[in-house]
Amino acid sequence: MELIYQGMYIAVLITLALMLFACLIRAIRGPRIADRIVSVNMMGTMVMVMIAVLSLLLKEGFLVDICLIYAMVSFLAVIVISKVYMGVYEEKRHNSEVKSNKIGMEGEETHGNT
Amino acid sequence: MEILEWIKLIVGGAFLLCGLLIFLIELYGIFHLDYVLNRMHAAAMGDTLGISVSLIGLMIISGLNFTTLKMGLIVIFLWFASPVSSHLLARLEVSTNENLGNHCSIYDNLEDLEKELIEEKIKQEKETGGEEA
Repeated sequence: MELIYQGMYIAVLITLALMLFACLIRAIRGPRIADRIVSVNMMGTMVMVMIAVLSLLLKEGFLVDICLIYAMVSFLAVIVISKVYMGVYEEKRHNSEVKSNKIGMEGEETHGNT
Repeated sequence: MEILEWIKLIVGGAFLLCGLLIFLIELYGIFHLDYVLNRMHAAAMGDTLGISVSLIGLMIISGLNFTTLKMGLIVIFLWFASPVSSHLLARLEVSTNENLGNHCSIYDNLEDLEKELIEEKIKQEKETGGEEA
């Protein structure tokens, strides 16, 4: 009985690990930044299941606590990364607008002088 | 007593396998769909349904103790967290993509969309009415 359980857990762990690698491929290939964040979020979900399976395989109850903390941290990571990236994008756009305005004004000035 | 153990193993294993299958479908969706806002559907499915089904399987196997309670807590937390993160990601994508119009149709104000939807509805009603008559 014990052997069957252990075999099942190990098979599930190996399958999840393979799927994790496929997710990683998507995260590397993803053309946009949102693609990468989505696939990292997915990887977090799979790792949560892996930790829960591991806690039953090793018969250590505290691993489920770690799983709960992992869920909270991955949620926080998504929020922080998306907010930070939005801020960076706004800043970049603002800078480029200021620069184009400056170039336009300089062009007018030189035009006036000549 | 022996038979109860076997039932526990089979039911728990079936739930766990269902969870893995849902993760596999999610993975297929991630590679098959071709834009982020479409891919998000597949990813959100794994976040809520996939993890809840596989954790229910583990809960059945582990029996009634504190571990089960904590696993339930994880599922409930993800039910709240996943829609919020999906919403934030969609907002990030929409606000940073400059040529979003290539992937989906954009309406500047909602009234245009409502008008179009009402026109479509009238057209459909006319078609179905004609068939019935």
